[in-house]
Amino acid sequence: MAMKGKDCVAIAADRRFGVQAQTVSMDFDKIFEMGPHLYIGLPGLATDVQTVSQRLNFRLKMYELRENRKIKPKTFMSMVSNLLYERRFGPYFVEPVIAGLDPKTFQPFIASMDLIGCPMITDDFVVSGTCSEQMYGMCESLWEPNLEPEDLFETISQALMNAFDRDAVSGWGAVVYIIEKDKVTKRLLKTRMD
Amino acid sequence: MDSQMNELYGNNGPKQVHFSPYAFNGGTVLAVAGEDFAVVASDTRLSEGFSIHSRDTPKTYKLSDKTVLGSCGFHGDVLTLTKVIGARLKMFEHSHNKKMSTSSIAAMLSTMLYYKRFFPYYVYNIIGGIDDEGKGCVYSFDPVGSYEREAYRAGGSASSMLQPLLDNQIGFKNQEGATVVPLSKEKAVALVKDVFISAAERDIYTGDAIIVQVVTKDGVKTEQFPLRKD
Repeated sequence: MAMKGKDCVAIAADRRFGVQAQTVSMDFDKIFEMGPHLYIGLPGLATDVQTVSQRLNFRLKMYELRENRKIKPKTFMSMVSNLLYERRFGPYFVEPVIAGLDPKTFQPFIASMDLIGCPMITDDFVVSGTCSEQMYGMCESLWEPNLEPEDLFETISQALMNAFDRDAVSGWGAVVYIIEKDKVTKRLLKTRMD
Repeated sequence: MDSQMNELYGNNGPKQVHFSPYAFNGGTVLAVAGEDFAVVASDTRLSEGFSIHSRDTPKTYKLSDKTVLGSCGFHGDVLTLTKVIGARLKMFEHSHNKKMSTSSIAAMLSTMLYYKRFFPYYVYNIIGGIDDEGKGCVYSFDPVGSYEREAYRAGGSASSMLQPLLDNQIGFKNQEGATVVPLSKEKAVALVKDVFISAAERDIYTGDAIIVQVVTKDGVKTEQFPLRKD
């Protein structure tokens, strides 16, 4: 999930990689850095998570070479949308979540997408994954506008942890990134490992 | 829409007609047990698919001065179940000359539901009330009668949205170093209102109004609050 705060954004995910009931790994990171202030979270089928992040990285590098500048978050969202829609009739099974700050104005930006690339930009929070209903419930109650980075960290951590504690196939650790103008803080959360 | 197109253009192959004895009428119920009280709340919307049948159908039913039942799911089965429970309660009172206690009602409901194990009541039940020692209690059920006493439970269409928040705020889960304070009646009612407001934002089957029944040793008090109507 990702949340907007006051001049900052936060993106967080669990760290489980499983095959239905079997947990295979507890350090599978689904959040990828695409730029100094641009992160994408890719929940879904693990093979597609890796393929999409690699293909996206390639397209992003080509963009940066051609344009000689860092990409804007909104443009990046369109790039992801295009990549996913190219596979309209045989899609990648990922539902990405994007969080970032504009490279020039540092305006916060969050967006999410379905598996065939329909983009959705919101002003509060975006969620994606198997426990999306639980996450919607938590975020709807806990989020308020203009949270400072420390408060945003607490809010997103509580929302994520309590939501995936009610889902059997999510959890086993969590990672939270707080993205501000001058720094990005990555924290690992202590969660129930079941 | 495809079947309408087929009827228009005459491509009528063999059709299999489906009659389902169940329907999903939506709704959410929630119960919280305090030290000497219990709160049972439900929304009042009755829907089917994308239509609303009624904005004023509470899903909480007062069984006795000490027990309130919240039921949602298929409204036909909800009505039948509450009718049968009411009858069984009266029969018990007439034969034993005393009212049924909350834990007995819970046990009875469990057996009633399991009798229909192979054609179940499509109902999610939660009982909230005062137990024999005067403490608040909540019993939650699945459609075939498996039940458990808990401190709080959300059931119905928005249950997955409400339950994690209750874990966090009432169970103090994932909060290290938080002092566990016993829940007061006012805080419980305020929390229930807040969670329903959040649920109404994101769940299409929840909305219109909340009915909150607060059960104490002095009886049952009812309050009603409006919710989003969209």
